[in-house]
Amino acid sequence: MSVLQKETKAVTVKEKSGLKAKLFDFGVKVVKDAKRNKFIYLMVLPVVLYYIIFQYGPMYGLQIAFKDYSPQLGFSGSEWVGLKHFSEFFSSFFFWRLLRNTVLLSLYSFIFAFPAGIILALLLNEIRGHIFKRSVQTITYMPHFVSLVVIVGILFDFTSTDGIINDILGFVFGIEPVAFMREAEWFRTLFIGSDIWQNVGWSSIIFLAAMSNIDPSLYEAAKIDGAGRWKQTLHITIPGIMPTVIILLILQIGKFMTVGDEKILLMYNPTTYETADVIGTYVYRKGILESNFSYSAAVGLFKSVIAFTLLIIANSIARKISDTKLW
Amino acid sequence: MAYILKIRIKGEELMLRQVKLKTFSSTLVLLMILSLIIAGCSNNTQTTEETGEGKSVASDSPKPEDVGYPGELSYWVSLDANVAATSKTLNDVGVYKELEKITGTKVEFKHPAGEGDQVTEQFNLMVASGNLPDIIEYNWLTVPKGPDNAINSGTIIRLNELIDQYAPNFSKYLNDNPEVKKMLTTDEGNIYSFPLIRGDDYLMVFKGPIIRQDWLDKLSLERPTTIDEWESVLTAIKEKDPNGNGQNDEIPLLLELGDIKGTGAFASAWGNTPWFYNDNGTVKFGSIEPEFKEFITTMSNWYANGLLDTDFAAIDTKLRDAKVTGNQLAALYSYTGSGIGKYTGLMKEENPEFKLVSAPHPSVNKGEKAALGQKDHPFTGAYGAAITTSAENPEEIVKWLDFAFSEEGHMLFNFGIEGESYEMVDGYPKYTDEIMKNPDGLPVTQALGKYMRSGYGGPFVQDRRYIEQYAELPEQQEAIQVWTDSAENAIKMPPVTMTADESNEYASIMSDLETYYDEMVTKMIMGDVSLDKYDEFIATLEGMGIQRAIELQQEALDRYNAR
Repeated sequence: MSVLQKETKAVTVKEKSGLKAKLFDFGVKVVKDAKRNKFIYLMVLPVVLYYIIFQYGPMYGLQIAFKDYSPQLGFSGSEWVGLKHFSEFFSSFFFWRLLRNTVLLSLYSFIFAFPAGIILALLLNEIRGHIFKRSVQTITYMPHFVSLVVIVGILFDFTSTDGIINDILGFVFGIEPVAFMREAEWFRTLFIGSDIWQNVGWSSIIFLAAMSNIDPSLYEAAKIDGAGRWKQTLHITIPGIMPTVIILLILQIGKFMTVGDEKILLMYNPTTYETADVIGTYVYRKGILESNFSYSAAVGLFKSVIAFTLLIIANSIARKISDTKLW
Repeated sequence: MAYILKIRIKGEELMLRQVKLKTFSSTLVLLMILSLIIAGCSNNTQTTEETGEGKSVASDSPKPEDVGYPGELSYWVSLDANVAATSKTLNDVGVYKELEKITGTKVEFKHPAGEGDQVTEQFNLMVASGNLPDIIEYNWLTVPKGPDNAINSGTIIRLNELIDQYAPNFSKYLNDNPEVKKMLTTDEGNIYSFPLIRGDDYLMVFKGPIIRQDWLDKLSLERPTTIDEWESVLTAIKEKDPNGNGQNDEIPLLLELGDIKGTGAFASAWGNTPWFYNDNGTVKFGSIEPEFKEFITTMSNWYANGLLDTDFAAIDTKLRDAKVTGNQLAALYSYTGSGIGKYTGLMKEENPEFKLVSAPHPSVNKGEKAALGQKDHPFTGAYGAAITTSAENPEEIVKWLDFAFSEEGHMLFNFGIEGESYEMVDGYPKYTDEIMKNPDGLPVTQALGKYMRSGYGGPFVQDRRYIEQYAELPEQQEAIQVWTDSAENAIKMPPVTMTADESNEYASIMSDLETYYDEMVTKMIMGDVSLDKYDEFIATLEGMGIQRAIELQQEALDRYNAR
């Protein structure tokens, strides 16, 4: 009781104007709330600390994108060079190719990989045999737990000139062996294809969850109205999972420019750079292998700015055309 | 499953509700402010340390006779694959066990994981973190901005004065070999490492074309010496099934881009080399000279006719070994040791007829020599043990490193432990059967790795008597002779160094240029890009600044010659 009194006093005494007052009010509210729900705050603390230390803390280092950073001089000691690294990147020989590859790979994974999970979930939803449904689910989401290095290793084995895929192509269709991993035009197909294979089961889980959340009475009503399974899917299931789909889509757009860089690093080689080299791998080569940290930070920042802009645009579009939104 | 699903649904609902919370964004603002405060507090206080340049020999520095070996030191060095096969650290290797007995110095080895790019990555991150061991063994000529900058920015220290005072053996060697001293001193006059020095011309040639003699015999062919002869030999191998399995699966030649760029493999037949070379004091870049087009044209013909391995652009040791031991590959560009020696050893049981021999570096006209073959300088920069600014007792460490250049250390690093890995026979250190015919069946390279560092390299002077025994097969000894005799090597660039600014500019030109170059050359050879585009290729190289890169190399060469 006395605590509450003190706080209300504090609020009335310290009348301040504008932003300062607002911030102050906010602070008071938080303190008040924290006292009431201290265990909940305690539970959220590790997460908050994680974000501060590992996500926001490193942002301090972003300044090296505008400096000629040398580790010995440190962040503050290095010389400011303004937008030098950005202009160097924009005029770089590989700028357009990197941008094109990054955007195309992202786009393809939107068009092909993202709907794959939804389609699988819709199909699974229609299956009535529980044992069959569960085994399909287990089988399809298993590859998600296999390490990426192993997946790419398998990919190399399968697609090598004496691998199983070429054996089948040769045996059944009489096609000459194709060195898939060394042909630039095959890279995107292999990349997206293996991604779907690895992750389709996993990404379908969240949609299945959303589906089981749909009110069964809707289906009953539709059945009475004479809707078949296809119509039910079209008019009940899909609209029912739409909010989830939109949220996931927006989140996906936030990652737009980050296209599985680790996987590309494992998969590419100079003969496939033409289609495989993306901003992320370029940053790795420049920054880590050539220790050109500033340049690589500038390129990375450019990528993040684009992704952030896209996220905001996507969210505001979603806001306009539906009620679902991230904020 | 149903249970898990239920939990997921709950989580899903929570998530949706949470993101709608209005306070979300304001919390975000608060967090950002907090993080800025925290980041501001942990401000990077690291400043440039004293570089130690010229200051290490102040008047109060200890007298040489007072300096002993260090009690302990930390040592960062990449672990050679031949050592990694049997030992986890260099502490387990004979030479360092013995060294610890002699000097009493306890060494803590730090080995980066992996090889190639992975080592580069770990090296760069270590230097950036500022958390340095006492000694870093690395090729300092390849570090970003060069060795002078590594000294000026406070990563490693200048050793000239320390070597004069505390490294009598090494400084005697340098004074006796002024040419080596010139190579190892930077333009600013710094000596920054105890490097590997190849003590004899015979040790500097170890790579060239090798070919299956047994297949040549089978098809009654001569060892090829010119490009035309190579073409007819390779064609015969392609068509006449020398491995006798009834299938047309022979791969005539594996030629890797790294060798083409590095030592002008096959390309030097046309009179220069694709990369930078020294034409009587003028730096040139061979790929923009007319000769290179002829080379590329020939190679793309060879590729189209199935004479080149289709995997040449993406090959690794495992794949290469499999092609040789699988009786498919007829010729490749490889080493005396881990080429001829290794494969002959591996195939001895399975195929007693298997015989790999060297072929001379090819030339265009018969009787001429190739312009360049693989031939190292006595000093290449590799295995340079440098002392970092973190070392507290550089005098002692210098003394410790100097031991390898003493008579006793020389024998230890080259031949290992007397009575175990070698015996003196009439004044000649002869490797024992433990090395040459290892009872556990280890190949010679790995057995060497268990005891000493002569098999790959390290900060010491490599002894000719090592290679005389290591290259024990007559084919290996012949190879060294054949490769030495068939290349001019007059155009080879010396180990030049650039200033930090030059090196920065050079790197920013060359990293994109090299990526483009590798792709285009690979594609032109493979026929993915038609040779009609050749002029475009040259124009692009020009546009990317190749002339400026040549200028920078020229300046570095001029300074080198003026040393």
